[in-house]
Amino acid sequence: MTATQIRVSSPKARKPWTPSQILLTLLGTAVSVVFMSPLAWALFTSLKSETEAVAVPTHWLPEKWTGQAWKAIFETGNITNWFVNSLVVSVCVTSVVLLVSALAGYGFARTEFRGKGVLLGLVMAGLMVSPAVLGVPLFTTVQQMGMVDTYWGMILPQCAPAAMVYILYKFFQGIPRELEEAAFIDGAGRWRVFFTIVLPLSRPSLAAVGIFTFIASWNNFLWPYMVTNNPDLMTMPNGIATVMNSYGIQWAQLMAGGLMAGLPLIIVFVFFQRQIVAGVAHTGLAGQ
Amino acid sequence: MGRPDLNRRQLLGGIGGLAIAGSFGFAALGTGADALASGADTRVRYWNLFSGGDGYNMIAMLNSFRKDHPDIAVKDSTLQWGSPFYTKLAMAAAGNRAPDLGVMHMGRVTGFSPGRLLDAWDVDLLAKYGVREQDFSPQLWNRGVIDGKLYAVPLDIHVQLCFYRKDVLKKAGLLGDDGRMVPVTSADEWFDVLKEAKGATKKGLQTIGFWNSDQNFQWWFFLAFYTQFGGTWFNDADTEVTFDTDKVTQVLEFLRRHITDGYSNPSFGGLASAEQFVNGSPFVWEGNWSVPVFDTAKVEYGATPLPPVFGKPATHAESHAFVLPHQADRGGPANEGAHQLAAYVIRHARQWALGGHIPAYRPILSTAAYKKMSPQNEYVSAMDHQATEPKVWFAGSTGTLAQRVGPIVVSSTMGSAKPETAARRMKSELTRLLATKNPMDGKTAAQGGTVA
Amino acid sequence: MTTSAQTVIRPARAKTAADTATVRRKQGFQHGGWFVAPFLTLFALFVIWPLLRGVYLSFTDANISGDSANFVGLDNYREALDDPLVWDTLGHSAYFTLLVVPCITVLAFFLAMLAHHIERGKWLWRLCFFAPFLLPSTVAANLWQWLFNPGTGMINHVFGIDTPWLTDKSYAMLAVVICTLWWTVGFSFLLYLAALQGIPDHLYEAAKLDGANAWHRMVHITLPMLRNITGLVIALQILASLQVFDQAVVMMDFLPGPEESTRTIVQYTLEQGFTSYRVGYASAISIIFFVIIASFAVARMWLLRKGEEGVR
Repeated sequence: MTATQIRVSSPKARKPWTPSQILLTLLGTAVSVVFMSPLAWALFTSLKSETEAVAVPTHWLPEKWTGQAWKAIFETGNITNWFVNSLVVSVCVTSVVLLVSALAGYGFARTEFRGKGVLLGLVMAGLMVSPAVLGVPLFTTVQQMGMVDTYWGMILPQCAPAAMVYILYKFFQGIPRELEEAAFIDGAGRWRVFFTIVLPLSRPSLAAVGIFTFIASWNNFLWPYMVTNNPDLMTMPNGIATVMNSYGIQWAQLMAGGLMAGLPLIIVFVFFQRQIVAGVAHTGLAGQ
Repeated sequence: MGRPDLNRRQLLGGIGGLAIAGSFGFAALGTGADALASGADTRVRYWNLFSGGDGYNMIAMLNSFRKDHPDIAVKDSTLQWGSPFYTKLAMAAAGNRAPDLGVMHMGRVTGFSPGRLLDAWDVDLLAKYGVREQDFSPQLWNRGVIDGKLYAVPLDIHVQLCFYRKDVLKKAGLLGDDGRMVPVTSADEWFDVLKEAKGATKKGLQTIGFWNSDQNFQWWFFLAFYTQFGGTWFNDADTEVTFDTDKVTQVLEFLRRHITDGYSNPSFGGLASAEQFVNGSPFVWEGNWSVPVFDTAKVEYGATPLPPVFGKPATHAESHAFVLPHQADRGGPANEGAHQLAAYVIRHARQWALGGHIPAYRPILSTAAYKKMSPQNEYVSAMDHQATEPKVWFAGSTGTLAQRVGPIVVSSTMGSAKPETAARRMKSELTRLLATKNPMDGKTAAQGGTVA
Repeated sequence: MTTSAQTVIRPARAKTAADTATVRRKQGFQHGGWFVAPFLTLFALFVIWPLLRGVYLSFTDANISGDSANFVGLDNYREALDDPLVWDTLGHSAYFTLLVVPCITVLAFFLAMLAHHIERGKWLWRLCFFAPFLLPSTVAANLWQWLFNPGTGMINHVFGIDTPWLTDKSYAMLAVVICTLWWTVGFSFLLYLAALQGIPDHLYEAAKLDGANAWHRMVHITLPMLRNITGLVIALQILASLQVFDQAVVMMDFLPGPEESTRTIVQYTLEQGFTSYRVGYASAISIIFFVIIASFAVARMWLLRKGEEGVR
């Protein structure tokens, strides 16, 4: 895929193995092993039988490899439900966030309207509000709207991230005004300019915001935990934490379920590493 | 990123657009994939908190119900026991998204705002499906009746037990002729038993596991021994705290001594104590729900109520009960299905007794099959001397009382607070709670709260 | 990218009057209200309104049922300031923050230096150090709960120890911290990595010509160039760590940990609201916590501004 293009775009001559490189690589390998071993442990546990998983003394590799835990989580069905729910919620959140924050970022960066300064200040203050800080009042608000235990109740409160507006606002400020002015003089309308000139220019920033929003939404636990009670509607992180399968803590299944929740993003990361790294760096650095 | 990409990009764009449209469509439907897939006429959503062996038995009962009633689709969901369960049930009822049927502990019913978060049972409908008041102990049945209406139908009684390994106790000479553990009547006798048992225990194993760092278990054990002592909580009018700190201190010292005398290893305080028991540790104090765990592990064991070391026998007991979480439009086939399912499970609770629980439906207790069940027949008497929490709005399984006072018991057992200090702190916590208003109706315990 | 948070408050008005006039005539940049309207609607409904509602509820005895509530004045605030659990749980969150922030900053810097300076397989290092961040918090917590499990857990097995990680109050919070380090360091690591890649090569080359060794180059070029990003990493970590909830509750099975040692302020607030049904009281604690968070943010802005003035 695009990976080859990227390689080419950053040509680098292979450097020889100097002693310091060897040392650093060894160190890096050791640290990586430490970082990866919990995941490997989860994977191996998921491939053991439940009894072998809790057998003493503990051992790394399964003595008898079995896909029984994986089969079980698909058969009980909850996991696949939650997977779909996670996907629905994350896709909806990401698309709404992209749309509204691009519009708002542009509006704040490029247009004039009454009360803009005050509103911008308000949005900045919103950076400090999160479900962790104001979860209870947020819940009662959503409760009043009758959206407890609905997809919308999960989705909409995640759709007003001040941080994303701020990032795009900073980005749009950096686009040369002349491009738009030229288009205006040619008689293009505001919306046309926004969609045909500004948005295509900001694809990397939008990708960053989109990727980051998707990760955050896929992994979000606290808000879905507060607002969903019906296990049919739960997302992966919430379901895994609050709904145990009816046979007690079965570590092999729990690990298999956890990997199911984590693997999609890790696989996506392997393929789109460059964009994600740029995205995270971009979103983070913008706060500087 | 040149021209040749365009087609691929359009394709990706198309797929992305479809995915987004699909997601929004799905969200708009709003029922979840499982409900969409279900084709049955009546769908009963049933929430419970049964994991482990209980979960296994519950599912077996549900499956036989499903086989007998193919027209009713039962969607059961098991939530993690403890405050998440009650929180979710309360929030679902408050948000008018409640399931058709739920399970909760009897002690929680009074504080759960019957009438607001719970709907009353239709007694005639229950009778139609075979569940009548005369088949239950009146005392137990009446715990579910508030203001003359039935809000909870009991399924079982469950108790805290002292599990012992027959093989180890035999070696230590602690088994009677009937193959059961020798009776213990005082704290000194109990520690003598532990001492003997310790001598017969394999190296590397503790003598007794008793969940020393778990605030729920420690609270239940405290409750049992304090009740054995004849301890009281509040006066009848619920206006004064009658909590006896001298007795409390003695109970706390008793619990603490298991660790200081080296019978219990704090490192194996939680789930590990059951693992140790299976590996050969002679004693473990556990809920009766561990019966299937030890049955599966093929351990030769028995179980008695907690030893009566402070006088009259008493062991902590609670009941699981079926409730109807509040739905604004309760009624119709789903409601009838809920009645039918609850009645079915209650009447077929012999399966449930495999999980160690004592069935609330009395006709089961007198069957020969039940009388043969071991060790259930060894502790069935526990239902006659139950230690329960005081009947105030803040009580109940993992309720405010247990959450506030349980950790204090743990701090004493673990040695981070002196028993006297812990006793004083418990008393001041009780005083504070007694003066606290029930958030659901603004009344203190003395003003009646929701307790009838 | 190098501009400070200052610009946040000040709308861009760098253009000259003549420019503005041209634009005005074209009406192109006018009436932007429609652009911001969708966002502001959502923002008002799900950020501003809950904030105002929280303030209102904190003066009432509202419960979870959503029924009407009575005005109780400052009672909730008075109770909160007297409630030892509010202070304990705030303390736990602060303790967690004190442990996590320095560790994550140092570890992230170390990992970034490694990944930046190893010339081969850069994608692999990035993947290894960043992958845990891609897991949901609850999955990371379950995984570490399993690793710390006393009898069958890998941690005690590998190190040949017998530590009651999750059942002893002196280790419980430490266990949560270790899980958090592993899980979240990837994010700060990427920020550092991006910042390292942004340092112009010629600075190092010049230093090399002057005979500076690797250590000197790190101390005199890398660290000063990373000052801004370090400030950002620390600030983001402080804000995130004070709000810790997920890992702690999942690792402790939704209980407050051994002897209540891992109950955080967020957990306590939610318990008051959703378990004890005291929405009014929970709102009061929320508002107090909001004020604390906000004062950190304001303090940071103030520091940044002061720093900039100093430079000027």
